[in-house]
Amino acid sequence: MLRFWLERAMQMLLVIFCVATLTFILMRVSPGDPARILLTTHNIPASQEAIDALREEMGLTDSLWSQYIRWLGDVFTWQWGTSYMSKEPVAGELLKRLPATLELASAGAFVMLLATCLIGLVTAIFSTGLLDRMGRLMALLGASIPSFWLGFLLIYFFSVRLGWLPSMGRGSIAHLLMPAVTLGLGLGAVYARVLRTNMLEMNSQNFVKASRARGLSKGRILIFQVFKHAFLPILSMLGTSFAFMLGGNVIVETIFSWPGLGKYIIEAITARDYPVIQGYVVFTSFLFVAIHLAVEALYVRLDPRLRAS
Amino acid sequence: MNNTKKPFRLSLGMMITCLMLVLAGCSTNAAGESNTSAANATALPTENDSKTLTIAYTWNPAGVDPHGDDSWDVMRSGAGETLIKLNEQLQPVAWLAKEWKQEDANTWTLKLERNVTFHDGKKMDAESVKASLLRSTQNSHLAKDLLLVKDIEVVAPDELKIITTQPNSAIISSLADPSTIILDVDSMKKAGSYPAMTGAFKIKQFTKDVSLVVERYDGYWGQAAKLKEVTMKFVTDGNTRLMALQAGEVEVATDIPIDSIELVEKDSKLEVLSAPSVRTHMVLFNMNSALFKEKANREVVDQAIPREAIIESVMRGYGTKAKSPFPEILPFGKVAEQAAGGTTEQLLSADGWQKNAAGMWEKEGKPFEATLLTFPHRPELSVMAEIIQNQLLNEGITVKIRKVENIDAELAKSDWDLAMYSMLTAHTGDPQYFLNIFYQSASESNISHYVSKPLETVINKLNESSDTAARNALAIEAQGIINEDLPQSFIVHPDNVFGVKKGVKGFIPHPIEYYYVTADVDIT
Repeated sequence: MLRFWLERAMQMLLVIFCVATLTFILMRVSPGDPARILLTTHNIPASQEAIDALREEMGLTDSLWSQYIRWLGDVFTWQWGTSYMSKEPVAGELLKRLPATLELASAGAFVMLLATCLIGLVTAIFSTGLLDRMGRLMALLGASIPSFWLGFLLIYFFSVRLGWLPSMGRGSIAHLLMPAVTLGLGLGAVYARVLRTNMLEMNSQNFVKASRARGLSKGRILIFQVFKHAFLPILSMLGTSFAFMLGGNVIVETIFSWPGLGKYIIEAITARDYPVIQGYVVFTSFLFVAIHLAVEALYVRLDPRLRAS
Repeated sequence: MNNTKKPFRLSLGMMITCLMLVLAGCSTNAAGESNTSAANATALPTENDSKTLTIAYTWNPAGVDPHGDDSWDVMRSGAGETLIKLNEQLQPVAWLAKEWKQEDANTWTLKLERNVTFHDGKKMDAESVKASLLRSTQNSHLAKDLLLVKDIEVVAPDELKIITTQPNSAIISSLADPSTIILDVDSMKKAGSYPAMTGAFKIKQFTKDVSLVVERYDGYWGQAAKLKEVTMKFVTDGNTRLMALQAGEVEVATDIPIDSIELVEKDSKLEVLSAPSVRTHMVLFNMNSALFKEKANREVVDQAIPREAIIESVMRGYGTKAKSPFPEILPFGKVAEQAAGGTTEQLLSADGWQKNAAGMWEKEGKPFEATLLTFPHRPELSVMAEIIQNQLLNEGITVKIRKVENIDAELAKSDWDLAMYSMLTAHTGDPQYFLNIFYQSASESNISHYVSKPLETVINKLNESSDTAARNALAIEAQGIINEDLPQSFIVHPDNVFGVKKGVKGFIPHPIEYYYVTADVDIT
């Protein structure tokens, strides 16, 4: 087991090194001069002297090699440099916004899980009726409705028309409802179809037939045998989606003015705030790897066959 | 049997953990909210003292240092003041400086208001103003460029002398720029405190990505603010700002998207407020492009721009026709319209172009095909680009539109012909800075690569002149040269548009984009 974790730790370091290097290269080849952009925030042209002085302040006049070495040092000392915009350490800036993103991603994952289980179970039980057709329609809509459109639709109905929920900001469960639904509902509807298919497949397995023959109740078989086994493959998909929500809920955070990492990174990209963009990419890659490791560990625990291998 | 139960419990546990995480996050925030409510409840001693206003604000400042990159946001909150203010005609008027005088080409003296105190209670005097101005020129590149300060001397407790490195007649207007906000420099040294400035409101709370809350400053030297508190919520998405206004969550929404103005106009509880701006939407010509080196070709494009129709349809009437970089609200913006150099046929035929069988212009077998860059941050520019493309197609010219993410980065490359662009051309009410930075051949901000020695001579004369009438005349002369040479086609000066709830009083849109919250703003 110790070897397993050592291998994974080495893999994680390697991934972070590769991501850090790739991000640095991509940032430097992407168009846009951070000094000029920062100076022309209000669309006022900047003087050459000011641009040159700021470039020097930002360390952009140093050789690419020394910028790269400085960046790697920042990554592995967990500093990630200083933001051009706020003049504060990037690590602190990201960690300040992480709780908001974590809160939204967790709520989104909960909605996703709820939708997966509810729709999946109902459509599996009533696999040929109206409910199943509705479930199929929901999965189709979930996969095809863009989150920005769903978000605005929810704001329009629940904030503008009904006045029930706040349209923006963070602060209470009421603030969390619409962003969480926007984030989780679509994926939940899609995963529900996967769960349904898995459950129907499980229904014809020998161990289910045997349970029926032993006289176990239909509900008990469905919940404790069929659902439990059918849910296993969905677990890894949920892990990936949760990591995606942590790193990629940019649109939802912008629409609902949610003060998290997604909204922050959009502003950093617009301002060409290199240290923030680079730090964010490394940070999210670390989260992705960590979540994948957690899912892998959970999978090993859940499936005895994997443990044996 | 045990083996199968265990994993299921685990996944059930995962679901419960997920739910707990959400609830934990929410319960913390719910507690936070109830604390805020309690705080609000204690802040309601009298009816007059309880009035608050919430603004859905476009930008998201990284900080509240008035000498940093977010000085405009600080000024907009009503917390900061400068020595000079610009009135609605964009002329410099007294603010913290009550009078000023030019001693010689490089020296100006300013007399300060006497009974001004900073938000920390300290008295404002010439020493503190000197320290503040020196800090602003050290920290802000814009302040350094605008003021060109060589030295500042304290003449008396309420008088100071500014000596510039070169003649700088625009210095009085430049002292209205938010990067020169006057603050108690010592307040910036205290950890955990906000900058102490002199405005009618003082900063109460700044929460990154969320809001800036200012409260009435009771020691204000002018007329006390009518509102107890103003909250500026940072909402970067235009549609969300609009819906927050429609839902009644905010009383004012800044920068309403042009295509949503109609929704505000139709809502009986809301109204649209607007003011002409000093911004100019324009088409840039690349003077190094093989196509647009020729003036005739630039004239053809210029004449094809249907300015009136663009204002009517794209801008929904919220803008004025642009004849030059500066709008007519400025005394130096009243320039004569350039006479047409001829029809497209006349201009292009004289330049050796011929129409082919398909009705398209070509020269030496090469069709008249240009690339027009546009960018997403100002969506109305992309619509204008399509209109111009269509108009030119009708004239027999092909324009390929290329939408780029970062317009400035693309302009720095040489492979473009035309570009949509937008600039604030007189953000201090004075033409000097923009003309110098945008048109001097040595400036990197001269993005059209336009070189004109006669224009540079006029700009240099303007830099040295201190007489207002002469300066205005020189600025008009400069624009005459620009319009004659046509390095850009100016399309429209867009209005600043706000959506407000009916009952909001004293919120007066100003042509300069940095005066929002004042002591006069009230709500009924």
